[in-house]
Amino acid sequence: MRRLLRGEAAFGYLLMAPALIYLGLLLLYPLLLSIWFSLTDASTGQPFGSWVGLKNFTDLWSNETFRLALRNSFIFTFGSEIGKAILGTVLAFLLLRRFHGKKVLRALLVLPWTVPVALTTLGWLLLFDPTFNMLNRITGAIGIGYHPSWLGEPVPAMIAIMMANIWRGFPFSAIILLAGLTSVPPEILESAALDGAGFLRRFHYIIVPMIAPILFIGLLFDLVFSFTDLSVVYLLTRGGPENTTHILPELAYQNGIQGGDLAQGAAISLFMLPVFVIACVIMLRILRRREI
Amino acid sequence: MAGEVLDASAPARARQGTTWLTRALRESIVTWVGLAFFLVIALFPIAVMAVTSFKQGGDLIDLKTPPLWFHRAPTFSHYTYLFQQTKFLTWAGNTIVISFFTVVITLILAVPAAYALARLHFPNADNFGIGIFLTYLVPPALLFLPLTIILSRYVNLIDTKWALVVVYPTFTTPFCVWLLMGFFKTIPVEVEEAARVDGCSRLQAILRVVLPLSIPGLLTVAIFAFTLGMQEYIYALTFISNSLEKPVTIGVTSDLIRGDEYFWGELMAGALLAGIPVAILYNFFLDHFVEGISQGAIK
Repeated sequence: MRRLLRGEAAFGYLLMAPALIYLGLLLLYPLLLSIWFSLTDASTGQPFGSWVGLKNFTDLWSNETFRLALRNSFIFTFGSEIGKAILGTVLAFLLLRRFHGKKVLRALLVLPWTVPVALTTLGWLLLFDPTFNMLNRITGAIGIGYHPSWLGEPVPAMIAIMMANIWRGFPFSAIILLAGLTSVPPEILESAALDGAGFLRRFHYIIVPMIAPILFIGLLFDLVFSFTDLSVVYLLTRGGPENTTHILPELAYQNGIQGGDLAQGAAISLFMLPVFVIACVIMLRILRRREI
Repeated sequence: MAGEVLDASAPARARQGTTWLTRALRESIVTWVGLAFFLVIALFPIAVMAVTSFKQGGDLIDLKTPPLWFHRAPTFSHYTYLFQQTKFLTWAGNTIVISFFTVVITLILAVPAAYALARLHFPNADNFGIGIFLTYLVPPALLFLPLTIILSRYVNLIDTKWALVVVYPTFTTPFCVWLLMGFFKTIPVEVEEAARVDGCSRLQAILRVVLPLSIPGLLTVAIFAFTLGMQEYIYALTFISNSLEKPVTIGVTSDLIRGDEYFWGELMAGALLAGIPVAILYNFFLDHFVEGISQGAIK
């Protein structure tokens, strides 16, 4: 028995090895390399610069553009999550109902999520374009009076990138919530309803606890992806006007790749690490609980 | 159906049988108004893109007319320009090559790992499983800088599509392992045991019995990896500046915007031509994607 187990263990490790080695080389190693870069004066020309300690981080901390980018990252992420949660919840409850043509409608409703974000953002770029002023012409036609220069003023630009991001993400929130809702056994709800529990009570005491794990996992995925995606901001504002809409990943790209300041770029991107680590810890707790 | 039970009016409906029809009518009106609202939101920017891609240049710059309709005859000229005057076909070809090899590498890495995690008992198997799942959360934004150096210094693949082929499996493999674990668990162990009683070795049993039975799962995973490869933006933007090596997302967004000059018609035509097939493919595995996430959460 013991030998058999050992044979199985060896086989198991053998099968795991390719994936583990690959991920180790291309995920773990770069992550460590990134930490090293942030502690040196590396540039893309001289990637193995010399040790400067925490200088990059202290420099960043005293840099106003960076501090604004850090703040923007949180505003952008949480603003987007709230928008996606509201739209996604309403859509999920609509999709729970039975109606004709549901498959086709669902496919159309998830288009914002399924078309590559870089490509749909071009559509938003046109809508916000100052020359054509499309969005304002359309909202003007239906009687909405807010007509800013979308990408030309700081606050409207921030709203603009969040709008594009919420639009891109709400179908995903809806789909995740829908998956959770449909996994609640109808019998439990039925008997609760028979016992006189109203919709809100059923929602609070049965639905929410039952779908909490999948909701959390979906939310964590979304949070990390939102916080670390640069495509919407890069394509719409490139951090402008006057450095007011930078977010961390996009600033790291501009400094590290376009500016060639590898060390500073790495230091900026490492400010995203805590969010990732916290998400991992929460995820771990959810996954562990599932096994008990 | 859960839908009916979740419906707030279900008990009320049972109590007042007489108003049932009007209630149902009212509810379906609410449903359709709601759906219409969401359809407008979801499709509005895409509709603008579609209309623009067929608009004559003069029609687009005419600011006095409503922007959502044609005031001059629609034209295919942006599409023909895209095919004849830009490298659109090369970009599309690159995307297919990149995604294809991403799928191949992903399967080579994920299938054995998923099988081991689903079927074999070895120390720390659970930890490996969770570890692999967590790596799916590692954001590209943390890795693109060091990977740029690795790809240019160590393997000299920077500025070629092969750089993406090497890197993309890092984000496709973790989730595919998780999805495949689910599929492998649905195949009864007895089937495999029967094959081994008949004289197959473990490896033969996997190749001849388990893999053929999991073809739907393998296909799902392949589509998933393929579409993820087609959608990726950060790595492609960072690694590739040579126009001939660009995937379509980067080609369209960078080569059709030159300085301050935007080729709107061509941009929109290119975005739709590249984006819609991805969306259609993506829909095929959407349910499995959700299943994969919820399996991690609930089962």
